[in-house]
Amino acid sequence: MINLAKRDIEHTLSKFIVTAMGVGMLLGIVLIMIGVYRGLIFEAEILLNDINADLWIVQENTMGPFAESSRVYEDFKNIIYVMNGIDKSEAITFQNIQLPHYEKPVRVVAVGYDVFGSINPINPERIIAGRDLKNDRYEIVVTDKTGFKVDEKIKLGRNLYTVVGVTHNTTSNSGDPLVYLSLKDAQELQFLYSNKEIQNNEARGVKNSESYMVNAIIATVKNGFDINEVAKDIKKWQHKSVYTAEQQKEILTKNVVEKSAKQIGLFTVILVVVSTIIIALIIYTMTLEKMKEISIMKLMGLPNSLIVSMIVKETLLLGIFAFIFGNIFSHLTYDKFPKRIVLEISDAWMLFGIIVIASILASFVGVKKVISADPAAAIGG
Amino acid sequence: MSKESAIKIQNLTKHFGKNESLVKVIENASFEIKKGELVALIAPSGAGKTTLLMMIGCVQEPTSGEIWLGEEKVYDNKWTAKDTRKIRREKIGFIFQSHYLIPFLNIMENITLLPQTNGVSEKAAKQKAMELLEYLEIADKAYSMSSQLSGGQNQRVAIARALANNPEIILADEPTAALDAQRSISVIKMLKKIAIEQNVAIITVTHDDRILPYFDRIMKIENRGIVFHKLDEEQNEII
Repeated sequence: MINLAKRDIEHTLSKFIVTAMGVGMLLGIVLIMIGVYRGLIFEAEILLNDINADLWIVQENTMGPFAESSRVYEDFKNIIYVMNGIDKSEAITFQNIQLPHYEKPVRVVAVGYDVFGSINPINPERIIAGRDLKNDRYEIVVTDKTGFKVDEKIKLGRNLYTVVGVTHNTTSNSGDPLVYLSLKDAQELQFLYSNKEIQNNEARGVKNSESYMVNAIIATVKNGFDINEVAKDIKKWQHKSVYTAEQQKEILTKNVVEKSAKQIGLFTVILVVVSTIIIALIIYTMTLEKMKEISIMKLMGLPNSLIVSMIVKETLLLGIFAFIFGNIFSHLTYDKFPKRIVLEISDAWMLFGIIVIASILASFVGVKKVISADPAAAIGG
Repeated sequence: MSKESAIKIQNLTKHFGKNESLVKVIENASFEIKKGELVALIAPSGAGKTTLLMMIGCVQEPTSGEIWLGEEKVYDNKWTAKDTRKIRREKIGFIFQSHYLIPFLNIMENITLLPQTNGVSEKAAKQKAMELLEYLEIADKAYSMSSQLSGGQNQRVAIARALANNPEIILADEPTAALDAQRSISVIKMLKKIAIEQNVAIITVTHDDRILPYFDRIMKIENRGIVFHKLDEEQNEII
C-alpha cells in the first residue's frame, strides 16, 4: 500500500525540514531549560560532594552558609573534635569575591580552609594544572573558568596571591567559579577591615575580633557511629544547628534551588505547550493546503482511516524530526551558555514521550478537518 | 440482444431547504443508461447537473426515488448500503473539470491508489495501470509527477485513474472545461472509445457544444425533469 504521509513529505521535503528545524529549536530550548535545572542541582552538589563531610555545624537557628549567613568561632572545631563519635573536624569559610582580571573582574566564591588540617575540600581529581595549597599564606587555587593560569599573581585586598593550581568543573551552588584560599587568608579577606575602619571601630568601643570567625565547622564521623545520633548530641549540648550531608543537599536543592527549578519548570511547560500549538497550527495549515485532494480522495471512495493515518503519521514524523533537530541544536549550543547545562538521556526520552503525545493531540485538528471535508467539494470546480 | 443497464433512475427527487425556503431541483426524474453509452448531461447553470451527478455518484442523498447501479439498488428512499464510499470505490470512476491528480504521488501511484485500497495487490494494480497508460498512449509518463505533464496528458491520467478500479460507470464533470477545442475533442473521442471497448456507461456534464456530436445521447434537465434530445447534425443544434 502506498504510504501517503511519506510521499507527501518527500514532495515538500525542504519545507518539511525547515518546519521541523523551527519546531526543533523550540524543543532544543526545552532540553536546554531542563539542562539548566540539572546543572543547578549538579553545581549545588559539587562543593558538598568534594568536601565530603558527614556533618555541617552552623550558627544556631540558621540553615548554614549555602542558604543564609552563618558565623561560628573557628576554635569551635576543637570542641566538636572531642565529642563522642567525631573523627575529624575543621573550620571552613565561604565568601563571594571579585578577582581582578585584565578583561573584567571575575565573580567567584572563595572557600577558605586550614591547609594543614585534616579535611581538604579540593578534590585532587579536579586539579588540571599545578597543585593544591601547601602554604597558609598568599596562595590561591582557581578554577579554569576564571581564566587565570598557574604562577599568575592576583591582588586581593592588600596582598598579592600566587595561583598555584587550576581546577576544572568546580563551581558553587550559585554557578560561580570556586577558588580556594587558606583559612587565614580567607578570614582576613572576609573579616579584616582597613586600618582606618579599625581605628574608627576602636574609637566607638567595638573590638575587632571577627577575624577568628568562620562560616561553618565540618566534621566526619567515626565508623560505627550513627551520624544522626552524633548530630543530635551536638545540637543538644553545643547550641548549634547541625545538618547531615543529606540534609545539606536537601537545603540546597529544596530551599536554594527550588524557586529557580519552579521557574525553569514553568518555562519548560509553557514551551512544550507552545510547541504543541505550533505543531497543531502547522498540521492544520498543511491539511488546509490539501483539502481539495482530500475531498477528491473521499469522493473516489478512499476510507477516512487512510487519510487520517496520513495526517497522524505526518504529525508524528514532524514531532520526531523536530525532536531530533532539537537534540542536535541543544548539543551544539549547550556549552556556549555561561552556566552549566547538564543534558541527560533520560530527560531526552521523557521529552520524546511528551512530543509523541503532543503530536498525536496536535494531529486532532487536522483529523477533524479531514472528517468534516465534503467529498462534493471535489465536483463543480 | 439489448445492452445491460448501468444506471436506472426511478422517480428521483431532490429538494433543498424546507417550507418557504424550499428549492425543488429535481422532481420525479426517471431514465436509464446502458453500459457502453456515452451520454452528455446539459442544462443551464444552477439547474441541478452537479446535484444529479452527485446523487448518481452516491455522494449526495436524494429526497426520494430509486437509484440502480447495475443490478444493485443503491437507493430506495434511503441508501441501501451503510458505506456509500464502498459503492463509489467499486462501481464508479470520477473525472473532474481539472485533472485533480494528487500532486505528491507520481502517475503510477495516482492510478494504483484506489485499486490497492480495494485490496488489489500492488503488482496487479501496477500491471492494470500500465495497460491503461498504454491504452491512453502515455505509458512513458508512468513514473513522472503530474507537474511534469501537460494539461491534456494529465486529463488522460485522470481518465486512467477513473478506469483503474474497473468501474461500471464513469461520472465526468466538465472534463474538457480546461482544454482547448482540439484537446477537448480528443478527450471525448477517447471517452467514446472507452465506453465501447470497456463497456462502461459514461455521463459527462458539459457546456461545450462543439463536443456534443460525439455523444450517443444528450440528456437535458428541463423543468426539474430529464429530457433526452437528439442533435441536428447538420446544424449542430439540439432538437
